[in-house]
Amino acid sequence: MSQPKEIFARLDRCVGCHTCDIACAVEHSKSKNLFEATSEQPAPKNRVYVEWVPRHHKVPVLCRHCEDAPCMHACISGAISRTGEGVVITNSDKCIGCWTCVMVCPYGVIGRHMETHKAYRCDRCPDLQSPACVNACPTQALVYRTIEAFSGDVRQKAAREMISGEGR
Amino acid sequence: MAVKQIQYVIIGASAAGMAAAVAIRKLDSGGSITVLSEEQDMPYFRPMIPFIISGKKKFSEMMLIGQGPYQGANIDVRLNSRAESVNTTDQTVTIKSGKELPYDKLLIATGSRPKIPSDLDGIEAEGVFVLRTTADARAIVRRAETSKHAVMLGGGILNLKAASALLERGLEVTLIIKSPEVLSQLMEPNDATLIRDALIRAGLRLITGCRASRILSDVSGVKGVLLDDGREISCQMVCIGKGVHPNVDFLRQSGIRVDGGVVVDRFTACNAPNVFAAGDVALTFNSTTGERIATALWTNAVEMGHCAGHNMAGQPTEYAGTLGVLNATQVADVPLVSIGIVHTFGTHYETHVSTAPKAYRKLVFTPDGEKLVGTLFVGDISRAGLYHYLIRENRPVKGIKSLIIKKQLHYGHILRETI
Repeated sequence: MSQPKEIFARLDRCVGCHTCDIACAVEHSKSKNLFEATSEQPAPKNRVYVEWVPRHHKVPVLCRHCEDAPCMHACISGAISRTGEGVVITNSDKCIGCWTCVMVCPYGVIGRHMETHKAYRCDRCPDLQSPACVNACPTQALVYRTIEAFSGDVRQKAAREMISGEGR
Repeated sequence: MAVKQIQYVIIGASAAGMAAAVAIRKLDSGGSITVLSEEQDMPYFRPMIPFIISGKKKFSEMMLIGQGPYQGANIDVRLNSRAESVNTTDQTVTIKSGKELPYDKLLIATGSRPKIPSDLDGIEAEGVFVLRTTADARAIVRRAETSKHAVMLGGGILNLKAASALLERGLEVTLIIKSPEVLSQLMEPNDATLIRDALIRAGLRLITGCRASRILSDVSGVKGVLLDDGREISCQMVCIGKGVHPNVDFLRQSGIRVDGGVVVDRFTACNAPNVFAAGDVALTFNSTTGERIATALWTNAVEMGHCAGHNMAGQPTEYAGTLGVLNATQVADVPLVSIGIVHTFGTHYETHVSTAPKAYRKLVFTPDGEKLVGTLFVGDISRAGLYHYLIRENRPVKGIKSLIIKKQLHYGHILRETI
């Protein structure tokens, strides 16, 4: 079985342009088109948040689909479950808007849809090959890879830096 | 040589019991898991029962098995099977029918039952209810069909939800509480203004600072409530929501240590061998103060049951304790989250309060100001989980304290603090 992919954020590459959160909101709109999405009611919601830590750090934050997801265990209506691909999803038909998931998410990435009184979060874009935020990121700060492939890259990069450092 | 199949018996088929059953099944595919329930209905999400009263959801929409994390196969749930006693020497449970059920590992997850005030007369009358089970909710619906006015005694979350559900059905509803404001377990009187306003906007009548001393009735059941200040309120039904007791009576002869709730160690084990306890019935401890506490929270029960399941299946797992207050809800159109220590009147906790027309917040730090120990958000609860994380992990908050007080904290700040 192939390893499931995850969204990784490479903080050194994020320039804080917010292209990801616009792409996310568009993908979760009715029209899936930026121009129409901007006028939709209720307004489409983004599920990735580009945060700023003074003075120079930008941090894209999104649902980690935690292994022992606190939100899933805490949910009092059975609305949160894990798909076969390992994605933790909120079923909005079952969500009763009690906000228990918001209270227990240690990343603060579960949003509240005020108009529909439902919680929402990253669903890794089930209709796309790779998530909209990853596709849109102009600096490849967001990547969609397996843990193995991503950690392999990190190791290689570290090894290259070490070798080039020694050569100096 | 064949490995002996372990017999797991779980008393109670709600949050803790079912979370344990699912955890056990994940770790032990061969053991037999029997869950005893005294109820007539298959396991369900208990916090959803107010929806039966409002009519917004059917029972089939609140069933538990197969939803969310409750996916374990081959779990034998036996309904109408109340446990009458436990014999910890022979390792058996006697159920209502008189049948004895042997166990290798036993979980006590019998939950709690509503407290009935001893100083209230007339509670035997038809039309007096508590709300704990689907059966209670259905009985309330039947009475509500012929009632115009309901009186609710007690101002906790469940009673507020029941009150809202009855308002949605079109009844007049009056809530009577001894405390000066509702939700006194989750906030102090000064914190409750937005909630009070929301309830009144939703149509609730609120009477504070007094208690019911007698329920008045005739042959058709409840006809009114007499208050301790002499006032009489005419109504056709009464709902009592004044907190809960752990269900421990059946353990009286068992030798299992009970001190209010069932006493467990950090690995959810009781004093008797192979017996564990989790959920409302268990006496656990506060992760901030270390005190022994019994909580009656779905979220805690699931977490503790999950932990007990691991311990029963031979994977020692320490339960990290819980916070006495850990509630999220929406009262009418106002969301709220209350976590940890939020009652600070007359204490030395460092407390920061901010009031705006539609949002109220209170951040509570240790007296030395180094750690966050409590958070109350009313109106705007966004990113509440970050604050829960800081409280639960007992993290020093020095570098991010002003962001916490201003409620500007995001995960980026915590990440930068860590790396």
